[in-house]
Amino acid sequence: MVTGQTIVLAADVPFPPSVEDFYLPSIAPWGGHDVWFTKITLLVWLSVAALIIFFLVSYRKPKLVPDKKQWLAESIYGFVRNNIAIEMIGKEGVRFAPYLASLFCFIFVTNLWGIIPFAQISPNSHIAFPAIFAVISWVLFIYVGFKKHGIGYLKVALVPPAPWFILPILVPIEFFSNFIVRPFSLAVRLFANMFAGHMLLLVFTLGGFAMINANGLLAPVSILSWLMTIALTFLDFAIIALQAYVFTVLTASYIQGSLAEGH
Amino acid sequence: MAGQQPPSEPRKDDAPPPPDSGSGYVAISYLIGGMVVWGGIGWLVDRWLGTNGIAMGIGAVVGGAAGVYLIARRLGA
Repeated sequence: MVTGQTIVLAADVPFPPSVEDFYLPSIAPWGGHDVWFTKITLLVWLSVAALIIFFLVSYRKPKLVPDKKQWLAESIYGFVRNNIAIEMIGKEGVRFAPYLASLFCFIFVTNLWGIIPFAQISPNSHIAFPAIFAVISWVLFIYVGFKKHGIGYLKVALVPPAPWFILPILVPIEFFSNFIVRPFSLAVRLFANMFAGHMLLLVFTLGGFAMINANGLLAPVSILSWLMTIALTFLDFAIIALQAYVFTVLTASYIQGSLAEGH
Repeated sequence: MAGQQPPSEPRKDDAPPPPDSGSGYVAISYLIGGMVVWGGIGWLVDRWLGTNGIAMGIGAVVGGAAGVYLIARRLGA
């Protein structure tokens, strides 16, 4: 009975999944289908709210001997402060720890929606969100560079230690790789990982339905496909944590480059 | 809260200067950047002079070489 229902429900499962599957319909309870309030919007708002509430609540009454929540919040901040900010930037990195910690937490939570049941899509699988993170980090490291070196930052960033006659060839490459590739690769790396993660889960879930629809004898393969979905969900969790970490570390590394003394 | 208890682990503020992490990405971006920038300029020259990809080829090779040189200068000893 249950299987029969599943098959009937699955009869109109679209396969293969396409980019259209990332453009979710409006879920606004008011108004029609062209309201901007989609599941993605909701997930972003939930992420912001969850982070604010979590850190406020766990630090409301800080205790000498921290309870579990406070310990978790302190561990997260301490990890970013000591193992990313200070490790990458050095002493001055403490100034940037709040930004880096916020960035890490927000990217991690928005990524995490990709594997939370019933949500199962990350806002970061739309390039708009990673692009904004990347632009913020990009503006930050350029601002920090100009603040530290003044107009001399252009020399630090663009002029490598090399004989003068090669410089005309090298300076355009430096400009391209420091000011154009950096924000672009930050955004695309995060976006592509989240996009691919969601796509993989879609392929294996919908593929299971497609096969069982095509031929009942393929049912074991369908079950294998759904088991793969579960395995891939765990893989996705590793990628989610890794990408949040990589984005933060690279931002810290760019800030460090802006603060570095001339060569 | 500050100063009420000794930190449970060293604060690491006095750690030695950071290692140059993320150098792998830097190397890749120089290598690709070199070829893309000078290959692109070569492509523009090709369009301007009507040559069939000669300038672009030269540009990509020169750019690749310059990228390798940059990696050696920036990341080498």
